[in-house]
Amino acid sequence: MSKSPVVAPQIDEKVAIYANNLNFVYNPKSPFEKHALKDISLSINKGEFVAIVGHTGSGKTTFVQHLNALVRHQSGDLFVAGLNLADKKLDLKKLRGSVGMVFQYPEYQLFADTVLEDVAFGPRNFGVAREDAYKLAKNALETVGLDFEQIKSKSPFDLSGGEKRRVALAGVLAMKPQILVLDEPTAGLDPQGKREILSLVKSINKQNDITVVMVSHDMNEVYENADRVIVFRDGGVVYDLPPRQLFKLEDQIVSMNLEIPQMAQFTNALEKQGIVLPDDCITVDQIFDALCQLKGGSNV
Amino acid sequence: MFRDVTFGQYYPKNSFVHNMDARIKLVLCLLFMVGIFFVQSYVGFALVTVFLMVVILASKVPLKSILKSVKGIVVLLILTAMLNIFFTKSGNVLVSWWIFTITDEGLIYASKMLLRLVYLVIGSSVLTLTTTPVDLTHAIERLLAPLKVIKFPVHDLALIMSLTLSFIPSLIDETDRIIRAQKARGADFDTGNLFQRAKAFVPILIPLLVGGFRRAEELANAMNSRCYEGATNRTQMRVMKLSWRDLVASLVCIIVFGGIIVVYAMKATWQPILPWMYF
Ligand SMILES: Nc1ncnc2c1ncn2[C@@H]1O[C@H](COP(=O)(O)OP(=O)(O)OP(=O)(O)O)[C@@H](O)[C@H]1O
Ligand SMILES: [Mg+2]
Repeated sequence: MSKSPVVAPQIDEKVAIYANNLNFVYNPKSPFEKHALKDISLSINKGEFVAIVGHTGSGKTTFVQHLNALVRHQSGDLFVAGLNLADKKLDLKKLRGSVGMVFQYPEYQLFADTVLEDVAFGPRNFGVAREDAYKLAKNALETVGLDFEQIKSKSPFDLSGGEKRRVALAGVLAMKPQILVLDEPTAGLDPQGKREILSLVKSINKQNDITVVMVSHDMNEVYENADRVIVFRDGGVVYDLPPRQLFKLEDQIVSMNLEIPQMAQFTNALEKQGIVLPDDCITVDQIFDALCQLKGGSNV
Repeated sequence: MFRDVTFGQYYPKNSFVHNMDARIKLVLCLLFMVGIFFVQSYVGFALVTVFLMVVILASKVPLKSILKSVKGIVVLLILTAMLNIFFTKSGNVLVSWWIFTITDEGLIYASKMLLRLVYLVIGSSVLTLTTTPVDLTHAIERLLAPLKVIKFPVHDLALIMSLTLSFIPSLIDETDRIIRAQKARGADFDTGNLFQRAKAFVPILIPLLVGGFRRAEELANAMNSRCYEGATNRTQMRVMKLSWRDLVASLVCIIVFGGIIVVYAMKATWQPILPWMYF
């Protein structure tokens, strides 16, 4: 982690999010006082897919809600999308237009008569003309894999759970954010729905070059998708590593009440037997290929 | 943003008043509220002030939290004071201007009335600050229990009350979350004319209502599927027990307010309290 002095991060073009000694206290000076963030220092580059994990109550939501000023900065440095969040005259509209935030159970925030209106709500708030907002909505709905013509005039309340969640995600994507923040985006979905949402997020990250910050409790999805994993504990950052390296620390991870992903258990076990795989072996297929190559055979 | 509405909300502490039986607290609070309207003399007010100070000290709740609830009724206080000042015609005229006259008696009535209202609010907020809503509902259920004889649905009433109370925090949380979610989509609640502002609340109200009905239905299903039945001889999870604290507190209150009422009855002057009874 960056213990080095503050390098004026707003100048560094590559950095999307930069935090240095960020602290946050809920209800200060009352019996309900809660020091939720303690000296958080981290930096996230543009285009990265970063996962934030940690036991319940470790401050993940509090941190990600800082990123578009839903929780107001108290002390420390925080720069997001080139804006200084400690600035009293911060341009909230600009910030919220650059940072799209998808909440846990986002389908509970749908409200409009039609899906089209609901998805266009975001762009409309940022002053986009009606017709253009509809175009953005159409694009966003297609990006999340929904049939635009079929769904546009339905009521959002008549959709299935999975569809609702996609519509809610489209509502955020329609604002064309540079940074996409997701707080447990797959909570409450079936395995199939989870996989679909994740591959969606992954492709948004890779194809549209959007920085993704995802809070998750599912270590398997974190392991397979994230470029980097940041572990929170009691309001502080304890690890900040690529997934493969992180989950080699089996004992430490388990002691924090987190799981080891299945594939990591497998590669770790192989390593104990002396079979060392390259660092980019994450998925079943990659492991299989690497094993075949180790054996000197060809992958048929 | 809605979390700031802490006014009158339970303040966790371990104190003499917190540990009292909720039923006794409720009854004594009622006695206090009635008693305060019988206070006439300066000596009486001084006595009540000392009494309240002792109670607040014994409750270990900071004075600031208690005074917060007084802030909530400032408008009412000002209105009451004005009515009392301008509509009291008896006594020596101090100032007279257009249709307004201010008399010395009016000022005295007004200040007594103000003190009564402030003390009333302080007394009731001490009750809610030191008693959890759950305990309070149980206390009400127990105190109303005799009404069961006339087939009054005491248990259902208590159930409705405690369900309502338990829904409030989750409703506040939900409102908070929806506001954040819509703000994240650029919703703006602070600018624009009245009409625009009212319209800005639609994206909050609709998900809130939908969510409220969903929760209510889920709860009803959960209760039905466990064969919940109203009042058929249910036992209570919390058993309320009286202790020495309740005895001491009751004695003190009965002596103070019983004394006040007796003094008042001996004077037997009914006339001055009538206008105050409107509040
Ligand atoms: N609005 C609030 N007021 C007071 N305390 C809060 C508030 N929101 C969260 N907290 C407290 O701050 C701490 C961090 O909460 P946070 O929601 O950030 O945790 P989390 O890591 O997102 O947990 P989870 O995995 O359960 O979502 C918790 O102890 C929580 O009780
Ligand atoms: Mg959370």
